[in-house]
Amino acid sequence: MSISDRFAELAHIRDSLGAVEADPSRIVMEKILSPTEAIIGNRPTILVGTNNYLGLTFDNEVLDAACAAMHEQGSGTTGSRMANGSFAGHASLEHDFAEFYGVPSAMIFSTGYQTNLGLLMGILRPGDKVVLDSHSHACIYDGCRISGADFLAFRHNDPEDLRKRLRRLGGDAEGALVIAEGLYSMLGDIAPLADLCAVAKEYGAWFMVDEAHSFGVYGERGLGLCEEAGILDQVDFITGTFSKSLASLGGFCVSRHPEMQLLRYGSRPYIFTASSSPANIAAADAALRAIRTRPDIKDKLWANANRLYDGLKGLGYELASTVSPVIAVRVPSKEEGARLWNALLDEGVYVNLVLPPAAPDSAALLRCSLSAAHSFEQIDAILAAFKAASAGSDMAAGASAQ
Amino acid sequence: MSHQTQDLDQEIMQTLLTHLARFPTKSDELNAQTDLAADMNIDSVNMMELLMEVEDTFDVSFPLNMMANVNTVQDLANQIKQLVENRP
Repeated sequence: MSISDRFAELAHIRDSLGAVEADPSRIVMEKILSPTEAIIGNRPTILVGTNNYLGLTFDNEVLDAACAAMHEQGSGTTGSRMANGSFAGHASLEHDFAEFYGVPSAMIFSTGYQTNLGLLMGILRPGDKVVLDSHSHACIYDGCRISGADFLAFRHNDPEDLRKRLRRLGGDAEGALVIAEGLYSMLGDIAPLADLCAVAKEYGAWFMVDEAHSFGVYGERGLGLCEEAGILDQVDFITGTFSKSLASLGGFCVSRHPEMQLLRYGSRPYIFTASSSPANIAAADAALRAIRTRPDIKDKLWANANRLYDGLKGLGYELASTVSPVIAVRVPSKEEGARLWNALLDEGVYVNLVLPPAAPDSAALLRCSLSAAHSFEQIDAILAAFKAASAGSDMAAGASAQ
Repeated sequence: MSHQTQDLDQEIMQTLLTHLARFPTKSDELNAQTDLAADMNIDSVNMMELLMEVEDTFDVSFPLNMMANVNTVQDLANQIKQLVENRP
Protein backbone atom coordinates (compact mmCIF):
# COMPACT_ATOMS: atom_id res chain seq x y z
CA MET A 1 0.00 0.00 0.00
CA SER A 2 1.36 3.42 -0.92
CA ILE A 3 1.16 6.44 1.36
CA SER A 4 -1.40 7.91 -1.03
CA ASP A 5 -3.53 4.78 -0.65
CA ARG A 6 -3.26 5.06 3.11
CA PHE A 7 -4.37 8.69 3.01
CA ALA A 8 -7.36 7.61 0.90
CA GLU A 9 -8.17 4.90 3.45
CA LEU A 10 -8.08 7.42 6.31
CA ALA A 11 -10.17 9.89 4.33
CA HIS A 12 -12.77 7.16 3.88
CA ILE A 13 -12.92 6.64 7.65
CA ARG A 14 -13.31 10.39 8.20
CA ASP A 15 -16.01 10.63 5.53
CA SER A 16 -17.96 7.67 6.88
CA LEU A 17 -18.02 9.31 10.33
CA GLY A 18 -19.01 12.61 8.74
CA ALA A 19 -21.81 10.92 6.78
CA VAL A 20 -23.61 10.06 10.01
CA GLU A 21 -22.47 13.29 11.73
CA ALA A 22 -20.44 11.29 14.22
CA ASP A 23 -16.96 12.73 13.89
CA PRO A 24 -15.69 13.31 17.44
CA SER A 25 -12.84 15.45 16.10
CA ARG A 26 -15.34 18.24 15.47
CA ILE A 27 -15.85 18.63 19.23
CA VAL A 28 -13.83 21.57 20.50
CA MET A 29 -14.11 22.64 24.11
CA GLU A 30 -13.81 26.38 23.71
CA LYS A 31 -13.56 27.01 27.43
CA ILE A 32 -13.24 24.59 30.32
CA LEU A 33 -15.42 25.79 33.18
CA SER A 34 -14.89 23.00 35.71
CA PRO A 35 -14.15 19.24 35.82
CA THR A 36 -17.72 18.67 34.66
CA GLU A 37 -18.59 21.60 32.41
CA ALA A 38 -17.23 23.29 29.28
CA ILE A 39 -18.36 25.64 26.54
CA ILE A 40 -18.93 23.64 23.35
CA GLY A 41 -20.46 25.37 20.34
CA ASN A 42 -20.97 28.56 22.33
CA ARG A 43 -23.07 26.86 24.98
CA PRO A 44 -22.43 25.45 28.46
CA THR A 45 -22.26 21.66 28.26
CA ILE A 46 -22.17 19.07 31.03
CA LEU A 47 -19.24 16.72 30.49
CA VAL A 48 -19.97 13.08 31.19
CA GLY A 49 -17.35 11.56 28.93
CA THR A 50 -13.98 12.67 30.31
CA ASN A 51 -12.75 9.81 32.58
CA ASN A 52 -12.21 12.48 35.23
CA TYR A 53 -13.45 10.00 37.82
CA LEU A 54 -12.39 11.82 40.96
CA GLY A 55 -12.82 15.29 39.47
CA LEU A 56 -9.42 16.40 40.72
CA THR A 57 -8.37 18.42 37.66
CA PHE A 58 -9.56 21.61 39.37
CA ASP A 59 -8.80 20.55 42.95
CA ASN A 60 -7.01 23.38 44.77
CA GLU A 61 -4.30 21.13 46.21
CA VAL A 62 -3.59 19.60 42.80
CA LEU A 63 -3.53 22.97 41.03
CA ASP A 64 -1.35 24.60 43.71
CA ALA A 65 1.13 21.72 43.59
CA ALA A 66 1.35 21.81 39.79
CA CYS A 67 1.78 25.60 39.67
CA ALA A 68 4.42 25.58 42.40
CA ALA A 69 6.38 22.80 40.67
CA MET A 70 6.30 24.64 37.37
CA HIS A 71 7.60 27.85 38.96
CA GLU A 72 10.26 26.02 40.95
CA GLN A 73 11.43 23.52 38.31
CA GLY A 74 10.39 24.92 34.95
CA SER A 75 7.83 24.01 32.32
CA GLY A 76 9.48 20.83 31.02
CA THR A 77 12.32 18.37 31.52
CA THR A 78 13.50 18.70 27.89
CA GLY A 79 14.66 15.10 27.66
CA SER A 80 14.65 11.55 28.92
CA ARG A 81 15.64 10.43 32.38
CA MET A 82 18.41 8.22 31.00
CA ALA A 83 19.97 11.13 29.13
CA ASN A 84 19.12 14.16 31.25
CA GLY A 85 18.75 12.56 34.66
CA SER A 86 15.68 12.33 36.88
CA PHE A 87 14.12 15.20 38.75
CA ALA A 88 13.59 14.59 42.46
CA GLY A 89 9.85 14.55 41.81
CA HIS A 90 10.10 11.54 39.49
CA ALA A 91 11.95 9.52 42.11
CA SER A 92 9.72 10.54 45.00
CA LEU A 93 6.53 9.75 43.06
CA GLU A 94 7.88 6.28 42.26
CA HIS A 95 8.66 5.87 45.96
CA ASP A 96 5.10 6.94 46.83
CA PHE A 97 3.57 4.38 44.44
CA ALA A 98 5.77 1.58 45.78
CA GLU A 99 4.87 2.52 49.35
CA PHE A 100 1.14 2.78 48.57
CA TYR A 101 1.11 -0.70 47.02
CA GLY A 102 3.60 -2.16 49.51
CA VAL A 103 5.89 -3.42 46.72
CA PRO A 104 9.62 -3.05 46.02
CA SER A 105 9.29 -1.75 42.45
CA ALA A 106 7.57 1.22 40.86
CA MET A 107 8.34 3.02 37.62
CA ILE A 108 6.61 5.98 36.05
CA PHE A 109 6.25 6.61 32.33
CA SER A 110 5.29 9.67 30.32
CA THR A 111 1.79 8.50 29.36
CA GLY A 112 -0.50 5.60 30.20
CA TYR A 113 -0.14 4.28 26.66
CA GLN A 114 3.63 4.28 26.97
CA THR A 115 3.40 2.52 30.32
CA ASN A 116 1.91 -0.64 28.84
CA LEU A 117 4.08 -0.32 25.77
CA GLY A 118 7.15 0.15 27.97
CA LEU A 119 6.40 -2.79 30.24
CA LEU A 120 5.50 -5.20 27.45
CA MET A 121 8.33 -4.19 25.12
CA GLY A 122 10.67 -4.41 28.08
CA ILE A 123 9.77 -7.86 29.41
CA LEU A 124 8.76 -9.76 26.24
CA ARG A 125 10.92 -11.19 23.49
CA PRO A 126 10.10 -12.99 20.21
CA GLY A 127 8.86 -16.48 20.96
CA ASP A 128 7.43 -15.58 24.38
CA LYS A 129 3.75 -16.44 24.87
CA VAL A 130 1.05 -13.97 25.89
CA VAL A 131 -2.64 -14.68 26.47
CA LEU A 132 -4.67 -11.48 26.78
CA ASP A 133 -8.32 -10.64 27.29
CA SER A 134 -9.89 -10.01 23.87
CA HIS A 135 -11.22 -6.61 25.06
CA SER A 136 -7.78 -5.34 25.99
CA HIS A 137 -6.85 -1.75 25.19
CA ALA A 138 -4.96 -0.96 21.99
CA CYS A 139 -1.75 -0.17 23.90
CA ILE A 140 -1.66 -3.74 25.23
CA TYR A 141 -2.08 -5.18 21.75
CA ASP A 142 0.51 -2.75 20.40
CA GLY A 143 3.01 -3.60 23.13
CA CYS A 144 2.63 -7.31 22.41
CA ARG A 145 2.87 -6.78 18.67
CA ILE A 146 6.01 -4.64 18.82
CA SER A 147 7.69 -7.03 21.26
CA GLY A 148 7.52 -9.84 18.68
CA ALA A 149 5.99 -12.24 21.23
CA ASP A 150 3.33 -14.75 20.21
CA PHE A 151 0.07 -13.36 21.57
CA LEU A 152 -3.42 -14.78 21.49
CA ALA A 153 -6.72 -13.70 22.97
CA PHE A 154 -9.05 -15.39 25.44
CA ARG A 155 -12.76 -14.64 25.44
CA HIS A 156 -13.59 -11.53 27.43
CA ASN A 157 -13.80 -12.07 31.19
CA ASP A 158 -13.94 -15.86 30.79
CA PRO A 159 -11.55 -17.74 33.13
CA GLU A 160 -12.48 -21.13 31.63
CA ASP A 161 -11.63 -19.89 28.15
CA LEU A 162 -8.29 -18.68 29.50
CA ARG A 163 -7.72 -22.13 31.01
CA LYS A 164 -8.45 -23.75 27.65
CA ARG A 165 -5.95 -21.56 25.83
CA LEU A 166 -3.24 -22.03 28.44
CA ARG A 167 -3.79 -25.79 28.27
CA ARG A 168 -3.27 -25.66 24.50
CA LEU A 169 0.09 -24.00 25.00
CA GLY A 170 1.33 -27.16 26.72
CA GLY A 171 4.71 -26.62 28.32
CA ASP A 172 4.85 -23.05 27.00
CA ALA A 173 2.08 -22.02 29.42
CA GLU A 174 4.60 -22.00 32.23
CA GLY A 175 6.24 -18.60 32.05
CA ALA A 176 3.61 -17.19 29.68
CA LEU A 177 2.12 -13.77 30.45
CA VAL A 178 -1.63 -13.44 31.08
CA ILE A 179 -3.07 -9.91 30.76
CA ALA A 180 -6.40 -8.51 31.94
CA GLU A 181 -7.73 -5.10 32.82
CA GLY A 182 -9.62 -4.09 35.95
CA LEU A 183 -12.52 -1.95 34.75
CA TYR A 184 -13.02 -2.19 30.99
CA SER A 185 -13.39 1.28 29.57
CA MET A 186 -15.98 0.73 26.85
CA LEU A 187 -18.65 -1.50 28.43
CA GLY A 188 -17.90 -0.53 32.03
CA ASP A 189 -17.70 -4.15 33.17
CA ILE A 190 -15.12 -5.49 35.60
CA ALA A 191 -12.85 -8.51 35.31
CA PRO A 192 -13.15 -11.61 37.53
CA LEU A 193 -9.55 -11.02 38.57
CA ALA A 194 -9.36 -13.57 41.39
CA ASP A 195 -10.48 -16.35 39.05
CA LEU A 196 -8.23 -15.23 36.18
CA CYS A 197 -5.26 -14.95 38.53
CA ALA A 198 -5.94 -18.42 39.93
CA VAL A 199 -5.96 -19.93 36.44
CA ALA A 200 -2.77 -18.10 35.46
CA LYS A 201 -1.00 -19.29 38.60
CA GLU A 202 -2.28 -22.85 38.13
CA TYR A 203 -0.31 -22.96 34.88
CA GLY A 204 2.73 -21.14 36.24
CA ALA A 205 2.02 -18.04 34.15
CA TRP A 206 2.76 -14.43 35.08
CA PHE A 207 -0.27 -12.18 35.63
CA MET A 208 -0.51 -8.50 34.63
CA VAL A 209 -3.47 -6.19 35.29
CA ASP A 210 -4.06 -2.77 33.76
CA GLU A 211 -5.94 -0.64 36.31
CA ALA A 212 -6.14 2.45 34.09
CA HIS A 213 -9.85 2.92 34.78
CA SER A 214 -10.05 1.26 38.20
CA PHE A 215 -7.18 2.84 40.15
CA GLY A 216 -8.55 5.31 42.69
CA VAL A 217 -12.05 4.03 42.08
CA TYR A 218 -12.11 0.44 43.42
CA GLY A 219 -10.66 -1.15 46.55
CA GLU A 220 -10.95 0.01 50.15
CA ARG A 221 -7.80 2.14 49.82
CA GLY A 222 -8.38 2.99 46.17
CA LEU A 223 -5.64 0.71 44.85
CA GLY A 224 -7.98 -0.77 42.28
CA LEU A 225 -9.67 -4.05 41.50
CA CYS A 226 -6.63 -6.15 42.44
CA GLU A 227 -7.07 -4.84 45.97
CA GLU A 228 -10.80 -5.54 45.87
CA ALA A 229 -10.15 -9.07 44.53
CA GLY A 230 -7.58 -9.74 47.28
CA ILE A 231 -4.77 -10.64 44.84
CA LEU A 232 -2.28 -7.82 45.42
CA ASP A 233 0.24 -10.35 46.74
CA GLN A 234 -0.11 -12.58 43.65
CA VAL A 235 -0.37 -10.27 40.65
CA ASP A 236 3.03 -9.73 39.05
CA PHE A 237 2.60 -6.36 37.32
CA ILE A 238 0.00 -3.63 37.81
CA THR A 239 -0.12 -0.70 35.42
CA GLY A 240 -2.16 2.48 35.54
CA THR A 241 -2.42 5.97 34.19
CA PHE A 242 -2.24 9.49 35.61
CA SER A 243 -4.77 10.79 33.10
CA LYS A 244 -7.94 9.58 34.79
CA SER A 245 -8.29 9.48 38.58
CA LEU A 246 -4.90 11.13 39.02
CA ALA A 247 -5.91 14.22 37.01
CA SER A 248 -2.60 14.56 35.20
CA LEU A 249 -0.59 12.98 32.38
CA GLY A 250 1.67 9.94 32.73
CA GLY A 251 1.50 6.35 33.92
CA PHE A 252 2.86 3.93 36.49
CA CYS A 253 3.83 0.30 36.81
CA VAL A 254 4.30 -1.46 40.14
CA SER A 255 5.54 -4.96 40.79
CA ARG A 256 6.21 -7.34 43.63
CA HIS A 257 9.37 -8.31 41.73
CA PRO A 258 12.34 -6.03 42.51
CA GLU A 259 13.78 -6.93 39.09
CA MET A 260 11.07 -4.89 37.34
CA GLN A 261 13.25 -1.83 37.98
CA LEU A 262 15.73 -3.28 35.48
CA LEU A 263 13.40 -2.10 32.71
CA ARG A 264 15.10 1.26 33.09
CA TYR A 265 17.93 -0.32 31.11
CA GLY A 266 15.88 -1.98 28.39
CA SER A 267 12.46 -0.43 27.87
CA ARG A 268 12.57 1.78 24.80
CA PRO A 269 9.38 3.76 25.61
CA TYR A 270 11.00 4.60 28.96
CA ILE A 271 14.47 5.37 27.64
CA PHE A 272 13.78 7.21 24.43
CA THR A 273 11.17 9.78 25.38
CA ALA A 274 11.02 12.95 27.43
CA SER A 275 10.14 12.41 31.08
CA SER A 276 6.97 13.83 32.60
CA SER A 277 6.99 17.57 33.25
CA PRO A 278 7.31 18.90 36.81
CA ALA A 279 3.69 20.12 36.71
CA ASN A 280 2.44 16.69 35.61
CA ILE A 281 4.40 14.93 38.33
CA ALA A 282 3.33 17.33 41.07
CA ALA A 283 -0.33 17.12 40.01
CA ALA A 284 -0.24 13.31 40.05
CA ASP A 285 1.51 13.34 43.42
CA ALA A 286 -1.11 15.66 44.92
CA ALA A 287 -3.94 13.57 43.43
CA LEU A 288 -2.37 10.40 44.82
CA ARG A 289 -2.30 12.07 48.23
CA ALA A 290 -5.98 12.93 47.82
CA ILE A 291 -6.82 9.29 47.05
CA ARG A 292 -4.93 8.19 50.15
CA THR A 293 -6.40 10.74 52.54
CA ARG A 294 -9.83 11.74 51.21
CA PRO A 295 -11.95 8.59 50.73
CA ASP A 296 -15.10 10.71 50.62
CA ILE A 297 -14.23 11.63 47.01
CA LYS A 298 -14.59 8.02 45.92
CA ASP A 299 -17.83 7.70 47.87
CA LYS A 300 -19.27 10.70 46.00
CA LEU A 301 -18.27 9.17 42.65
CA TRP A 302 -20.14 5.98 43.48
CA ALA A 303 -23.21 7.90 44.65
CA ASN A 304 -23.21 9.69 41.29
CA ALA A 305 -22.72 6.44 39.36
CA ASN A 306 -25.62 4.81 41.17
CA ARG A 307 -27.87 7.81 40.55
CA LEU A 308 -27.19 7.92 36.81
CA TYR A 309 -27.36 4.14 36.45
CA ASP A 310 -30.70 3.88 38.25
CA GLY A 311 -32.04 6.86 36.31
CA LEU A 312 -31.10 5.46 32.90
CA LYS A 313 -32.53 2.07 33.87
CA GLY A 314 -35.71 3.83 34.92
CA LEU A 315 -35.89 5.51 31.51
CA GLY A 316 -35.80 2.07 29.91
CA TYR A 317 -32.31 2.12 28.45
CA GLU A 318 -30.34 -1.07 27.92
CA LEU A 319 -27.09 -0.73 29.84
CA ALA A 320 -24.00 -2.76 29.00
CA SER A 321 -23.00 -3.82 32.51
CA THR A 322 -23.77 -3.55 36.20
CA VAL A 323 -23.19 -0.19 37.86
CA SER A 324 -19.69 1.26 37.62
CA PRO A 325 -18.20 4.71 36.98
CA VAL A 326 -18.48 3.86 33.27
CA ILE A 327 -22.09 3.48 32.16
CA ALA A 328 -22.55 2.47 28.53
CA VAL A 329 -25.98 2.75 26.90
CA ARG A 330 -26.44 0.23 24.10
CA VAL A 331 -27.82 1.63 20.85
CA PRO A 332 -28.85 -0.75 18.04
CA SER A 333 -27.09 1.01 15.15
CA LYS A 334 -24.36 3.55 14.56
CA GLU A 335 -26.85 5.85 12.81
CA GLU A 336 -29.13 5.88 15.85
CA GLY A 337 -26.10 6.26 18.11
CA ALA A 338 -24.95 9.30 16.16
CA ARG A 339 -28.44 10.80 16.17
CA LEU A 340 -28.72 10.45 19.95
CA TRP A 341 -25.16 11.68 20.51
CA ASN A 342 -25.92 14.85 18.53
CA ALA A 343 -29.28 15.26 20.24
CA LEU A 344 -27.57 15.03 23.64
CA LEU A 345 -25.09 17.70 22.57
CA ASP A 346 -28.01 19.89 21.54
CA GLU A 347 -29.42 19.33 25.02
CA GLY A 348 -26.08 20.42 26.53
CA VAL A 349 -24.63 17.02 27.47
CA TYR A 350 -21.40 15.53 26.14
CA VAL A 351 -20.97 11.74 26.23
CA ASN A 352 -18.63 9.50 24.22
CA LEU A 353 -20.00 7.97 21.04
CA VAL A 354 -18.43 4.54 20.61
CA LEU A 355 -18.80 2.83 17.24
CA PRO A 356 -17.74 -0.61 16.00
CA PRO A 357 -15.18 -2.12 16.25
CA ALA A 358 -14.66 -0.42 19.62
CA ALA A 359 -18.29 -1.22 20.40
CA PRO A 360 -19.25 -4.90 20.21
CA ASP A 361 -22.01 -6.61 18.20
CA SER A 362 -22.09 -4.03 15.39
CA ALA A 363 -24.02 -1.74 17.71
CA ALA A 364 -23.04 1.61 19.17
CA LEU A 365 -22.53 2.81 22.70
CA LEU A 366 -23.29 6.12 24.35
CA ARG A 367 -20.59 5.96 26.97
CA CYS A 368 -20.90 8.00 30.14
CA SER A 369 -18.03 8.33 32.58
CA LEU A 370 -19.02 9.73 35.94
CA SER A 371 -17.05 12.14 38.09
CA ALA A 372 -17.09 12.75 41.82
CA ALA A 373 -17.31 16.42 40.84
CA HIS A 374 -20.75 16.00 39.24
CA SER A 375 -23.55 17.39 41.38
CA PHE A 376 -26.82 15.52 41.75
CA GLU A 377 -28.41 18.41 39.86
CA GLN A 378 -26.09 17.72 36.92
CA ILE A 379 -26.90 14.00 37.03
CA ASP A 380 -30.59 14.85 36.90
CA ALA A 381 -29.95 17.23 33.99
CA ILE A 382 -28.11 14.44 32.14
CA LEU A 383 -31.10 12.15 32.68
CA ALA A 384 -33.47 14.83 31.42
CA ALA A 385 -31.31 15.24 28.33
CA PHE A 386 -31.39 11.51 27.62
CA LYS A 387 -35.16 11.55 27.97
CA ALA A 388 -35.50 14.50 25.60
CA ALA A 389 -32.98 13.10 23.10
CA SER A 390 -34.76 9.78 22.80
CA ALA A 391 -38.26 11.22 22.53
CA GLY A 392 -39.93 9.63 19.54
CA SER A 393 -37.44 6.78 19.25
CA ASP A 394 -37.71 3.16 20.42
CA MET A 395 -34.53 3.51 22.42
CA ALA A 396 -36.03 3.98 25.84
CA ALA A 397 -39.37 2.27 25.98
CA GLY A 398 -39.99 3.49 29.49
CA ALA A 399 -39.14 7.08 28.69
CA SER A 400 -42.49 7.99 27.20
CA ALA A 401 -44.32 6.44 30.11
CA GLN A 402 -42.66 8.69 32.69
CA MET B 1 -0.22 -35.19 -1.81
CA SER B 2 -1.76 -37.89 0.39
CA HIS B 3 -5.50 -38.34 0.83
CA GLN B 4 -5.06 -37.45 4.50
CA THR B 5 -3.43 -34.14 3.61
CA GLN B 6 -6.08 -33.40 1.01
CA ASP B 7 -8.80 -34.12 3.55
CA LEU B 8 -7.17 -31.75 6.04
CA ASP B 9 -6.86 -29.04 3.39
CA GLN B 10 -10.52 -29.39 2.51
CA GLU B 11 -11.64 -29.46 6.12
CA ILE B 12 -9.71 -26.29 6.95
CA MET B 13 -10.92 -24.45 3.86
CA GLN B 14 -14.52 -25.51 4.40
CA THR B 15 -14.40 -24.44 8.03
CA LEU B 16 -12.97 -21.05 7.11
CA LEU B 17 -15.51 -20.45 4.38
CA THR B 18 -18.31 -21.36 6.79
CA HIS B 19 -17.00 -18.97 9.45
CA LEU B 20 -16.39 -16.21 6.89
CA ALA B 21 -19.79 -16.53 5.24
CA ARG B 22 -21.33 -14.20 7.81
CA PHE B 23 -19.21 -11.27 6.61
CA PRO B 24 -20.18 -9.37 3.46
CA THR B 25 -17.75 -9.54 0.52
CA LYS B 26 -17.22 -6.95 -2.18
CA SER B 27 -17.03 -9.59 -4.89
CA ASP B 28 -19.84 -12.03 -5.58
CA GLU B 29 -18.05 -15.13 -4.46
CA LEU B 30 -16.15 -15.99 -1.31
CA ASN B 31 -13.29 -18.32 -2.18
CA ALA B 32 -9.69 -19.22 -1.34
CA GLN B 33 -8.30 -16.17 -3.11
CA THR B 34 -10.58 -13.66 -1.38
CA ASP B 35 -8.49 -10.96 0.32
CA LEU B 36 -9.58 -10.70 3.95
CA ALA B 37 -8.82 -6.99 4.24
CA ALA B 38 -9.42 -5.61 0.75
CA ASP B 39 -12.42 -7.73 -0.24
CA MET B 40 -14.08 -8.31 3.10
CA ASN B 41 -13.05 -5.36 5.27
CA ILE B 42 -13.15 -7.50 8.42
CA ASP B 43 -12.31 -5.28 11.38
CA SER B 44 -9.81 -6.26 14.05
CA VAL B 45 -12.43 -7.38 16.55
CA ASN B 46 -14.21 -9.67 14.09
CA MET B 47 -10.88 -11.07 12.93
CA MET B 48 -9.96 -11.91 16.51
CA GLU B 49 -13.32 -13.58 17.06
CA LEU B 50 -12.78 -15.60 13.89
CA LEU B 51 -9.37 -16.74 15.06
CA MET B 52 -10.70 -17.80 18.46
CA GLU B 53 -13.33 -19.91 16.69
CA VAL B 54 -10.66 -21.42 14.46
CA GLU B 55 -8.51 -22.19 17.49
CA ASP B 56 -11.41 -23.98 19.15
CA THR B 57 -12.36 -25.90 16.01
CA PHE B 58 -8.86 -27.26 15.39
CA ASP B 59 -7.61 -27.20 19.00
CA VAL B 60 -4.58 -25.09 18.12
CA SER B 61 -3.08 -21.81 19.33
CA PHE B 62 -3.11 -19.19 16.57
CA PRO B 63 -1.04 -16.18 17.69
CA LEU B 64 -2.43 -12.91 16.37
CA ASN B 65 1.03 -11.87 15.21
CA MET B 66 0.87 -14.66 12.61
CA MET B 67 -1.76 -12.59 10.81
CA ALA B 68 1.05 -10.38 9.53
CA ASN B 69 1.68 -13.09 6.92
CA VAL B 70 -1.97 -13.54 5.98
CA ASN B 71 -3.76 -11.74 3.15
CA THR B 72 -6.10 -14.27 1.55
CA VAL B 73 -8.32 -17.05 2.85
CA GLN B 74 -5.76 -19.49 1.40
CA ASP B 75 -2.95 -17.83 3.38
CA LEU B 76 -4.98 -18.28 6.55
CA ALA B 77 -5.71 -21.91 5.69
CA ASN B 78 -1.99 -22.55 5.14
CA GLN B 79 -1.10 -21.12 8.54
CA ILE B 80 -3.77 -23.21 10.25
CA LYS B 81 -2.61 -26.34 8.47
CA GLN B 82 0.91 -25.73 9.69
CA LEU B 83 -0.35 -25.37 13.26
CA VAL B 84 -2.48 -28.50 13.03
CA GLU B 85 0.37 -30.56 11.64
CA ASN B 86 2.73 -29.35 14.36
CA ARG B 87 0.18 -29.78 17.13
CA PRO B 88 1.88 -31.32 20.20
